[in-house]
Amino acid sequence: MTSAALRVDAAWWRRPAEWPAAIVRAWSRSLQFRTVLITVCLSGVAILVTGLVISYSVGNDLYQSRLDQALRDADRAQQQVQSSLDATDASDPATVLGLGQAVKTVVQGASSSRMMAFSRAPGQPADPQAPTDYTAGGMRPSLISPQLSQAVAKSSGTLYSQSVALPVDADSPSRTHPGVIVGSQIHLPTAGTYQLFLGYDLSDAEQTLNFVQRTLLLAGIALIALIGAVTFVVVRFVVAPIQLAAATSRRLAAGDLEVRIPETGEDVFTTLARSFNAMADSLQRQITQLATLSQLQQRFVSDVSHELRTPLTTIRLASEHLHDRKGAFDETTSRTAELLHAQVERFDLLLSDLLEISRYDAGSVSLELEPASLVRLAEDAIEEFEPLARANGTELQLVAPGGYSEVPMDARRVRRVIRNLIGNAIEHGEGEPIDIIVDSNATAVALAVRDRGMGMSESDVGHVFDRFWRADPSRRRTIGGTGLGLAISQEDALIHGGVIDVWSRPGEGSCFRLTLPRRRGGPIAESPIPLGPAETEGS
Amino acid sequence: MTTRILVVDDDTALAEMIGIVLRSEGFDPVFCADGAQAVDAFRQASPDLVLLDLMLPGLDGIEVAERIRASSGTPIIMLTAKSDTADVVRGLESGADDYMVKPFNPKELVARVRARLRPSSAGAASQSVQVGDLTIDVAAHEVRRGDTRINLTPLEFDLLLALANKPQQVFTREMLLEQVWGYHYKADTRLVNVHVQRLRAKVEHDPDNPRIVQTVRGVGYRAGT
Repeated sequence: MTSAALRVDAAWWRRPAEWPAAIVRAWSRSLQFRTVLITVCLSGVAILVTGLVISYSVGNDLYQSRLDQALRDADRAQQQVQSSLDATDASDPATVLGLGQAVKTVVQGASSSRMMAFSRAPGQPADPQAPTDYTAGGMRPSLISPQLSQAVAKSSGTLYSQSVALPVDADSPSRTHPGVIVGSQIHLPTAGTYQLFLGYDLSDAEQTLNFVQRTLLLAGIALIALIGAVTFVVVRFVVAPIQLAAATSRRLAAGDLEVRIPETGEDVFTTLARSFNAMADSLQRQITQLATLSQLQQRFVSDVSHELRTPLTTIRLASEHLHDRKGAFDETTSRTAELLHAQVERFDLLLSDLLEISRYDAGSVSLELEPASLVRLAEDAIEEFEPLARANGTELQLVAPGGYSEVPMDARRVRRVIRNLIGNAIEHGEGEPIDIIVDSNATAVALAVRDRGMGMSESDVGHVFDRFWRADPSRRRTIGGTGLGLAISQEDALIHGGVIDVWSRPGEGSCFRLTLPRRRGGPIAESPIPLGPAETEGS
Repeated sequence: MTTRILVVDDDTALAEMIGIVLRSEGFDPVFCADGAQAVDAFRQASPDLVLLDLMLPGLDGIEVAERIRASSGTPIIMLTAKSDTADVVRGLESGADDYMVKPFNPKELVARVRARLRPSSAGAASQSVQVGDLTIDVAAHEVRRGDTRINLTPLEFDLLLALANKPQQVFTREMLLEQVWGYHYKADTRLVNVHVQRLRAKVEHDPDNPRIVQTVRGVGYRAGT
């Protein structure tokens, strides 16, 4: 169920360019994706902040403790140096001159640092007896800033420290690691004040800090992944039943009335499932009931029509028999036979229309498709209606710019539609000329019948396809229509995948247009014939 | 000698009215109102043609048609209140030569009856026609494969003969309807389909792979050589 949103974008990850779109899609479609993403983002921010704080304070602590250590170490070294200097007999200038090296020895014994600088404090008069400055253990004079040197020079009892970047080795000055230089004053007998600088390498502290930060980062990522996974699972528990319910209602809506949600457990989803199933049961019951009723009614209509056929056959045979012999009757009886004959025929038409519409209602109509030309069918129908048209003083004009090619259709039904449309046009055309237009395009063939008779009002147009509906009940009927003609025609068009449209305006006439798809089941992009007066009038 | 027609219909009013129409056209109608007795009535009257209602008490029209067909090739025209495909095809497959949907008019009825009673129009062509490994003896109304006689109804005989007389010609279903059934207007081409099936079942070695009555796709049928 949860894979639904993912399945849609099965291969989106192969095309990085589509990632943003895929993410937006997943965001709007999947509650699960949204929830996991929000949770991961928020917890990620929290973990990031925590990690930064921890990293900062651990780094601070580490630095501070290493600094303290360095200061202690330097202090010890300075005191030992000073005390050993104080103990020196300074009467001999050579000894004094060698004190510089003596300091180095003491420092190396007392301190862990091998980096040292020994220099004469500034501001003292030059003295050839004084020991010379030197550096040792990779210390460089440039590392000692003037500020540090001045600070050390100002007070004698205090240790001063300064962070520096120590070069890793002499060859590559760009690579450095952190360090601290601690400076102090020492007093040499007779030679004056000197400054002692000791350098301490803090790279081990940096490594520790790096390790801590790496660990924090890994732990953070693992934690975010875990939170994401947990959210995914939890949301899945919640979303899965909802998705199941959604899928089930979709199937129910699609007509699968048997489908139900499984009712397991006692939780809130079971309640949902129970009420959903109850709704589905009730729907199914009502639909089945309605279907049965409708079936019963359709069968009734069909049965009645069939049952009527046998007596109607007898009546028809009898009326024909009488009609054929009406010359032998007196005038009244002869007229009676004529009326009987005409009305039996009308009754016959009505019955077959009724049967046809009941067949459509029952959905038991099957098409017998054969290639046929709409123009040819129109010509046949026009020929058939020519006498009636002449009797009404109407002229039938065929305008066929297209539609000659053969298209699969049930010719019997299409012929029936055309006959019906032309018959109606003659009946309502008031003797004005009637255009029968046939045309085709890439997707459809169409036939329009345009009369210039009395037309219909807009509300009438909405009813023309209703069964047994008559535009003007008071009007005398010249052609014995059954009132089912257009309803059947519309069904005939629909079962072909086509349609009949109508345009009409009072006083201007009507235009009925039949449009059929060129291919069976194919779509109709547009009807080849425009519906309306302006275009048809011009032809 | 008048032509005798057996009318099998349970609706006595309709049967009587059909009788009046037939009698006024010079036929001699006999009646039967029950499906179960129809076959006996057929044997007694030995009619030249049967008008058979599809829905009958006792035995339905389809079964009656099958039983009559089992022993005789007498033309049968079904009368049916249903024009639905399944019933019509079932009726034709059971052996009926033609059908009429109620309500029909008397002229149509008489025209169909006459068409079925009309002697085979192809008789004049020649005495004997060869089609595949079949020999059609026109005068004796017989079809033989070697020495074996194949029983065909008059309609099936006419159908085979019409095709065999012009082996080079492809017949559309409409042409066959006109030539064999005597329809002069567009009628139900299922008549042709069903009867071609029945004919093939009798004359072909393998009805699924026909050699004598061949289908020409999209056009119609032709006799094989």
